[in-house]
Amino acid sequence: MATVSVRIPSLLTSLLGIPKTAQVSGHSLHEAIENLCERWPSLAVHLFDESGALREHVLCFVNDTNTRDVEASEYSLRDGDVITILQAVSGGI
Amino acid sequence: MDRLRADLILLACCDHMDPNDNYMINLVVGTIKGGFVFTSDAARREWKLTREIFAGWTVNAFARTRTGRYLAGTGSYVYGATVQSSRDLEHWEQAPQSPAFPEGSDRTLDQIWCFNVSGDRIYSGVSEAGLFFSDDDGDHWSPVDGLNEHETRSDWVPGFGGLCAHAVLVDRNNPKRLWCGISAVGVFRSDDGGDTWKPKNEGVTPAVPDALHGIGRCVHGLAIDPQNADRIFRQDHMGMYRTLDGADSWEKVEAGLPSGFGFPIRRDDRTGTLFVFPQESGEYRMPPGRTFQVYRSRSDGDSWEPAGSGPASYAGVLRGAMAVDSLAPCGVYVGTTSGTVHISPDAGDSWIVLPYTLPRVLCVESFVEPT
Repeated sequence: MATVSVRIPSLLTSLLGIPKTAQVSGHSLHEAIENLCERWPSLAVHLFDESGALREHVLCFVNDTNTRDVEASEYSLRDGDVITILQAVSGGI
Repeated sequence: MDRLRADLILLACCDHMDPNDNYMINLVVGTIKGGFVFTSDAARREWKLTREIFAGWTVNAFARTRTGRYLAGTGSYVYGATVQSSRDLEHWEQAPQSPAFPEGSDRTLDQIWCFNVSGDRIYSGVSEAGLFFSDDDGDHWSPVDGLNEHETRSDWVPGFGGLCAHAVLVDRNNPKRLWCGISAVGVFRSDDGGDTWKPKNEGVTPAVPDALHGIGRCVHGLAIDPQNADRIFRQDHMGMYRTLDGADSWEKVEAGLPSGFGFPIRRDDRTGTLFVFPQESGEYRMPPGRTFQVYRSRSDGDSWEPAGSGPASYAGVLRGAMAVDSLAPCGVYVGTTSGTVHISPDAGDSWIVLPYTLPRVLCVESFVEPT
């Protein structure tokens, strides 16, 4: 099982009162995010929609790779990987 | 001795002629980029910005529950919508289980549009249109399936503001009697605590062509007479309406209004005065006279008059962006789409403008607090 760090967007950390980075464990990206949400349950509703999928405008990078089109349960992690949760920014409101 | 004591009490009362002296006001303003809390004494003429909350989040609704807990509906087009709660308007905590459609649903809940506190039960209207309730002070929310899965649901279509359930009314004398307003769909009523619902829009001009099943009506705002829940006032896309039979039938009441179009409607329950903000048609959505101008009715909608006057303005007012407080005379609070906040401390006779330009205002709410 790999130990990785997760970077969480400030919009979420400020709302939920959680740290901007966290160390979590997991064999796969799916397991790491699951463990993250287990530690801070209030986070889950903001990352996943009613269908259980990552919200449309939430991006999840592992190191430099956008995992949008990758099956998270099959994305293997290695020690020291950095997961970055990002919001897709567009428009001008 | 008793007479002397009575005189002293009378003297003390005269020294505080205004009963409002015992109160202060928290005015909360929700915008597309956060919430703002302003505070004033009961004179309501000098306001101080006391805190900024939920920076970066859309803040669409505020309420205070029976226990004194504040609720806020926050959202983001990226991260979804949740209910936040606080005891002091400063420290907020996310509800363990905010309103949400069932897991696996193809609906997306993207905004908390309103709260209605009815005793220990709290209702919340959301978009994509749905109604939820909480019986534990806002911590956990359950769907009102009778409305959310209504037989007409497949014919519901969104308006310009989305498919939103934005208004909930409860009959104070019979809490099983409920009304819910859904934009571009219409008003529904339940007589059995939410188990079953019927569209109640007879007399209201359809906003959706070829509307079936008595829906396709675009209600924008609702206000109820708590003493007589048969009497409901409706700011609709197609005009200003009133019902005297609990929404079985509606009639237009626009005498004195420069336009029947608008979004918010509020009622001062102490005097029955209604407040609205007419705007020029769905195409323009600006004040008809290009000035900030609230209208009021002191005759249950029979006639309307300008309530004081405000500065030149091209800004509209959204459905949640008007509030009335419970003092006498009532304070009236209005936020605009250009981020200004207008306050009348005297039931609309005179107005002040807060010296701030906020983001687009989505909602305002006033909380009268004992000092």
